[in-house]
Amino acid sequence: MAPPQDSSQPRLAPGCRWGGTEEERVILFPEGAIKLQGTGREVLEHCDGQRTFGEIIADLQKQFTSADPAKIRDDISRFLEQLQKKRIVDY
Amino acid sequence: MVPNPLALIAEVTHHCPLHCVYCSNPVQLAGMYSELSTAEWLSIFQQAGKLGMLHAHLTGGEPLARTDLTELIAAARASGLYTNLITSGIGLSNQRLKALVDVGLDHIQLSFQDSREDSANWIAGAKAHAHKIELAHLIRQHKVAFTVNLVVHRQNLDHLDETIAFIEQMKPERIEIAHTQYYGWALINRAVLLPTRAQLEKAVEVVAAAEKRLAGRIRIDSVVPDYYAKYPKACMGGWGRRLMLINPAGKVLPCHAAEVIPGLEFENVREHTLEWIWQESPSFRRFRGEDWMPEPCRSCDRRTEDFGGCRCQALLLTGDPTATDPACSLAPKHHVIEAAVLEANSENGIAKPTTASSFVQLQQQNATLWNYRTNPE
Repeated sequence: MAPPQDSSQPRLAPGCRWGGTEEERVILFPEGAIKLQGTGREVLEHCDGQRTFGEIIADLQKQFTSADPAKIRDDISRFLEQLQKKRIVDY
Repeated sequence: MVPNPLALIAEVTHHCPLHCVYCSNPVQLAGMYSELSTAEWLSIFQQAGKLGMLHAHLTGGEPLARTDLTELIAAARASGLYTNLITSGIGLSNQRLKALVDVGLDHIQLSFQDSREDSANWIAGAKAHAHKIELAHLIRQHKVAFTVNLVVHRQNLDHLDETIAFIEQMKPERIEIAHTQYYGWALINRAVLLPTRAQLEKAVEVVAAAEKRLAGRIRIDSVVPDYYAKYPKACMGGWGRRLMLINPAGKVLPCHAAEVIPGLEFENVREHTLEWIWQESPSFRRFRGEDWMPEPCRSCDRRTEDFGGCRCQALLLTGDPTATDPACSLAPKHHVIEAAVLEANSENGIAKPTTASSFVQLQQQNATLWNYRTNPE
């Protein structure tokens, strides 16, 4: 159990996939779903198993220039680690 | 307008090659002659998708007993639903599994009864255990998410640590440890199934240790038994709030057991749309919201959390479906639960693995109390 590293390639865990509608996207998993809005949705849409954590962070830091880059990294790292514990994200 | 339901439980047949003593199916099972056709199920999944439901849980009986299961899964998936197959595995071959995965099966939940073969087959009333182990390995060769489900009770809790280790080897993403809920066949067999408090407390420790050990590898979801809880479970997330269940004959129910409640008529998908049944039918409205609630629920802070507990349990144990769930420590009729718990914990209580000198002796001691689930005619 560790936070993602720069070379990690985050992706949805087996059994998890996108669903819902364009206005209300959700991640579906065996016994439930989570609704994703705003930044959370943005982050997970980047997690395609191809891009590395380092690339994803760089991309989002460029997009959200008003926020502190170190804080963006910390927040996203923690977010993905939480989802990994719940078996929604793998990296 | 009532918010739309989230998930559909599709009991596609009540036929099952297993006869588990804890089965939650009604004691009166729907017969084959009345089963919905393929076309009828296809329409149901389409309606469910349009209603905004997210999940379709295909269950039974044993869903694999339907020869059109691949078509049903394909239709559910095409309707935008996350498809979950809840199965004993009996009737699943590599070829059939491949077909199911190819049409979009998202998740498979395979049941085990125990880690020990003699006990597992005894609980299931069928020689299924060895086949299930083979299947678990087969499932891991396909691209589908995998949960192992274990129903726990008095007869298999003493070696839960061993059973978790056994399941772990099958490398599922998830283990579901579900304490028996006492409806249908399980209620008939309650005396041999209800655990002691000591068994339960040990199980809680075992599960907590396994969660820690397996964190990030295997997720464990565990359901605590309401007989030992202070407050009742929010059964199905509340009556008519989240789920619709369709039985093999097309009756639409708010939960697995609802048909036991006298005086309620459940609508059939052959006569009404799912939307109408959800929004308008008297059966779905009967215990929705708070108007039906008696005291102490009506003025209780927890009424929006547990919704007064389970209506079927209230009926089955008190004779009154509008009573507070007797599992609640505040319920006027909580003593009926206390009496069952007292009996389960008595000195001369029903045998369990650690009190019997051998498996054969355990079987003999419990033989007269053991009622296997039968099949519909």
